[in-house]
Amino acid sequence: MYFPALLYPCILGMLSLVHGIPIHPDNLKNLVKLQADTIILRIKDYNDKLKLYPKLLIGDPELYPEIPADKTIQGLGSIVDTLTTFQKVLQRLPKGHVSQIRSDLSTLLDYLKERMTSMHCTSKEPANGRSLDAFLEDNATHHITVGYLALDRLKQFMQKLIVNLDQLKSC
Amino acid sequence: IRYIVVMPKLKIIEIIELFYPSDGRGGVYEDLKWKALLCCELPFAQTLDDGLSEHPPVGQCQLLNATKPEFSSKSPTLSGNCLDILCWLEGERTNLICNAKSHRAAAAASLLTVRPQLVVQMNVLSDEANHAAQCAGEDTAMCSISLHGNDATVSLNISISLNGSTALSPKMQVSTHNLRRPEPPINLHYDVTTEGEVIFRWSDAQPNSDAINYEIRYASNSSLQQWEVVKVKGRSWVSLNELSSGIRYMVQVCCQSHINYWSEWSQPFYFTLDVSYIPAEIFTTPGSEVTVYAVFHNRSWSASKAVWMLNGQVKIPESQYRVIDEQVSAVTVTVDEPGFDTLMCCHQWGERFKCIIAYAKIYTEGMFNADITCQSKNSEVDTMSCEWNKSAWAQVRLLYRQYTSMCETISEMAGSEEAEENMECPSGAGDHRECTLKNLSLFSCYKIWLEVEGGRGKVRSFPVYVAPIDYVKPSPPSVLEATTLPNKTLSVSWRRPHLPVYDMQYELHFVALRGMANTQWKVIGPLLEPQAEIQLEESCVQFKVEVRCRRLNGSGYWSDWSMSYTSVVYNRKAPEMGPDFWRAIQEDPVRSVTNVTLIIKQPVLAGDPYSCVEGLVIEHQASGRAMWSNETTLAQFYSFPWRKEAHTVTVMSRNALGISTRNRNMTLLHQPKRRCVRSFSAVANSSCVYLSWSLLSDHSVPQSFVIEWLDLKKDPEQDMSLTERLQWVRVQSASRDLSLCRRFYGSEEFTLYPVFVDGEGEPVRCTATRGDPAAYILLLIIAFLSVVLFVTLLMSQNQMRKLMWKDVPNPNNCSWAKGMDFRQIDTIENLFPHSEGLTACPLLLVSESICEVEIIEKTHPVTLELEKDNEVPIYKSGDKTTTDSALLADSSEPLSLEASTAAATPETSGQSSVTYSTVLLSHQPSLLRKQPGGLWDLENHVCSDSANPRHSSSYNSVEEFSETSDQDYEASESTGVAKDLYYLEVNEEEEEEDEEEIEETQSEQENNEMVMKEDTRALLEGKNSTAVASNVSHSIPLYLPQFRTECINPP
Repeated sequence: MYFPALLYPCILGMLSLVHGIPIHPDNLKNLVKLQADTIILRIKDYNDKLKLYPKLLIGDPELYPEIPADKTIQGLGSIVDTLTTFQKVLQRLPKGHVSQIRSDLSTLLDYLKERMTSMHCTSKEPANGRSLDAFLEDNATHHITVGYLALDRLKQFMQKLIVNLDQLKSC
Repeated sequence: IRYIVVMPKLKIIEIIELFYPSDGRGGVYEDLKWKALLCCELPFAQTLDDGLSEHPPVGQCQLLNATKPEFSSKSPTLSGNCLDILCWLEGERTNLICNAKSHRAAAAASLLTVRPQLVVQMNVLSDEANHAAQCAGEDTAMCSISLHGNDATVSLNISISLNGSTALSPKMQVSTHNLRRPEPPINLHYDVTTEGEVIFRWSDAQPNSDAINYEIRYASNSSLQQWEVVKVKGRSWVSLNELSSGIRYMVQVCCQSHINYWSEWSQPFYFTLDVSYIPAEIFTTPGSEVTVYAVFHNRSWSASKAVWMLNGQVKIPESQYRVIDEQVSAVTVTVDEPGFDTLMCCHQWGERFKCIIAYAKIYTEGMFNADITCQSKNSEVDTMSCEWNKSAWAQVRLLYRQYTSMCETISEMAGSEEAEENMECPSGAGDHRECTLKNLSLFSCYKIWLEVEGGRGKVRSFPVYVAPIDYVKPSPPSVLEATTLPNKTLSVSWRRPHLPVYDMQYELHFVALRGMANTQWKVIGPLLEPQAEIQLEESCVQFKVEVRCRRLNGSGYWSDWSMSYTSVVYNRKAPEMGPDFWRAIQEDPVRSVTNVTLIIKQPVLAGDPYSCVEGLVIEHQASGRAMWSNETTLAQFYSFPWRKEAHTVTVMSRNALGISTRNRNMTLLHQPKRRCVRSFSAVANSSCVYLSWSLLSDHSVPQSFVIEWLDLKKDPEQDMSLTERLQWVRVQSASRDLSLCRRFYGSEEFTLYPVFVDGEGEPVRCTATRGDPAAYILLLIIAFLSVVLFVTLLMSQNQMRKLMWKDVPNPNNCSWAKGMDFRQIDTIENLFPHSEGLTACPLLLVSESICEVEIIEKTHPVTLELEKDNEVPIYKSGDKTTTDSALLADSSEPLSLEASTAAATPETSGQSSVTYSTVLLSHQPSLLRKQPGGLWDLENHVCSDSANPRHSSSYNSVEEFSETSDQDYEASESTGVAKDLYYLEVNEEEEEEDEEEIEETQSEQENNEMVMKEDTRALLEGKNSTAVASNVSHSIPLYLPQFRTECINPP
């Protein structure tokens, strides 16, 4: 009332501080869980549209090691590492329905990378970058099955992530 | 160079050797450099001092072998005027640098003597690029010429001057192609043959490459240090057969040029062998057969266990597979429709099919139906969204083309494509199923179709011709207003969207907000004006209203429904009366709270249309506390916590103009209530409950009574709260009885509450008793009818038995039984001493169960002469075949015997059936002639002497107890011989009855009786028969079918 001109800069300053405050760990867990659940459901919808014969088993877990299968979760670094690999795969798939999943995954990665930064975790380059590129190049013509396989493995990783949300607290 | 490629190895080497020193006009190519040694003779003394000569003397130069510099060292005269010339490439073929350096320069540096300087001048000229460069220097010169990245042949001229004398070099040429390494091979790939052989291929980086030798190295990704190297000469492919499946290999190739330069290793090529399809892509036409081979590189996968899948969805029948060899399977399919399909060859693994990610692609040329539907939005008239269906496996791109003419015209002249270019959906090729096209003209016609990516433009959908104006989905109407008027009218008005400008039609739907459980929208339309007046059944009701619109004439889509608008109820004054209400009190033991729920009767809406009730106001007054109130909508229930203090609640009606003035209130009390009801009773009949009560005389009369009960129709299991099941009715204080007519179950408990001004009196309960006996009467009638039915069934069953087992034939009358003492016969072998009899007609199987029957003939005192026996063989021999066939014919009928089998015939052995045997006495043989069915015609019977009525013949009739036997029975009755037909029966009780009858007969005919009785017992005695138990033989006597006839000759 007395100094309304000063009040607004104060409010704006506080808002800018709020923007800079990192996400609280519990909030992050909630966000990650929501995003992972969303991705799982989208993958289910996408793969269901293929209407594959129920007995088909495309890609054994021991095959195609370039796409992470049954990866252990050991802290934020490993999660980001694995998700980055999946993101690479999705980026190589044709445009279309998978775009939404790619966008969701990108959002999830952003959360986690921001968390890593705030925790001063060191990030590392994905180990199998070259062989993954070569694998994707070789199988560029089989994008449907590559997409199915990658999304199926991503779904499994998301399910594992949901039950290992405590790993978000460590690097 | 081409010639070198096709030459054999040794020849190549010779040619290279020949070319090596002389290539490049005097120089040699070595270590990616061109080298030459130029030596010149210059007249030394003359030119140095006097300088009198007008024409400087000209020397001679010659190129020496740069690789053998001994010549220059041996000639000291020349050595000082020799130049080492060196050319090389700089950068990525951008510049050629040539350097000429005299030997004098080197000598001067070492001897530190002052000598005249040698001037070197060099001209460099690129033949192809026509670039030139000049440079000069003392003792040394360096020139650079730009090549612009291309190979070129460069000419080199050098002149040297010393003391005025000059010498010119011969023309030298340098090919820059030979100054660099060859490019490594490109386009590495592999093919697999239908025999399973892996052929690895590559291409030279340049079309006119002179590469003659190649080296291939490969290693698994995990062991890159252990390379396998293969050398190849003269061809750009190699067969790799030692590869394992499932391993990721890296392969590199390098090549060697004709001047022995080796290229760098090529870019690595990665591949994994698992399943290869041959061909991997097929182009076909609808209805054509396509054969695809699959090679299993995994040795543990067998082609015999291959499973082919079409589009990953349908298993192709195994009849279409072929096993080429252990690792190669083939399938032949026919695709009938144009489009895109995939084939996957999987391996059976238990119940499942293991597949890898590779698949073969089938492009069937033609047009497929993609069901393209488009819709343009009014809010963005230049934008249209199209959707389509496609195979989940296909990548497609949406193409469209704009026409300026009408769509109808374009469709007719389809095929005559104009010059306009096709445009493509901005999202490009992909897995899309929709696309939004922008910057369209609303009134143009667009041809839209899909193309399958990779289909070379030959696999496409049928096009659709769309004018966006015809597919507009307008924006919904706006500025909606609705009023519920007192004259039972709902008045609604709205505003149409501005665009498109064509005429609109509208549709309106509305729903009453009262009673939200029953939200049935009522639809009104089509409406041509942006307003409507709807007649209602009642006034004072608020409605939720929504409107939508579409094009009036022509095609298009309905808009979305507009935003909901709740109608305003028109009122002139506030409501007069508050609603009636009752309460339900519920204890919440968990939270130790008592909740009171007010059950409010809906106010009478039709009372005064000008003072409608829009909501309620509940006013509370607790003892010792201030008054407070809550506003609600027109709800049926209202709950609040009660602290068990005196609490008065008043419920008032309200509308926009005020609240009601005449209201009912209720006081809730916790202390003991006063008792005023003396008696309370309830009597129910099928549809009504009659309640009556009386009051104690010495108490004040209550303000009113409330009777409440629980509605048993509503299931408490289905989330029906107590308040919803509670039913109540208020009765005036003067009333002492009440008749409630509705559906009751008869077990309701009614509670009567006297309500006073200051609270409730003590309630009284009673349960209605049913006075209606209809249900019990109905039950009794059903029980009675059941008993009657049961008795009827029993009687009819007995009657049927009697009918079925009326007569039993006597086997003692059988001709074959003559002279047999059945008591002496233990087994069937004894019964048939002549084996031929059995073999001729094996009617009975030993293993079959046997039924024992006793037959006592009701005989006449017959005395048959022995001489009549002679007639029997005549009958037998004369008509034996006929007899047997007749017997067989008879016995061929299906047999039946209750609970056992007997008298088995060849046709019936093994069957379980009831059989009976007919024993005929030939009192009147002539009558038998006319009997139908299985009885024999006795016309030809020799022993059927009409003069001797005592002659009898017994016939065994083995027939199904069926219509045929009924006919026999009826026929025999009609001919008067029914009394002479006896049927064997197995019922023991019946047997006893028959025995009694037989005893009566016995008393009349004593002589024969004894004989027959003895004979009969031996053969047909019942196993459990008490009447003849003393004479039962040891083994089970057999009841045998009649298969021979003979006249009976009583002893």
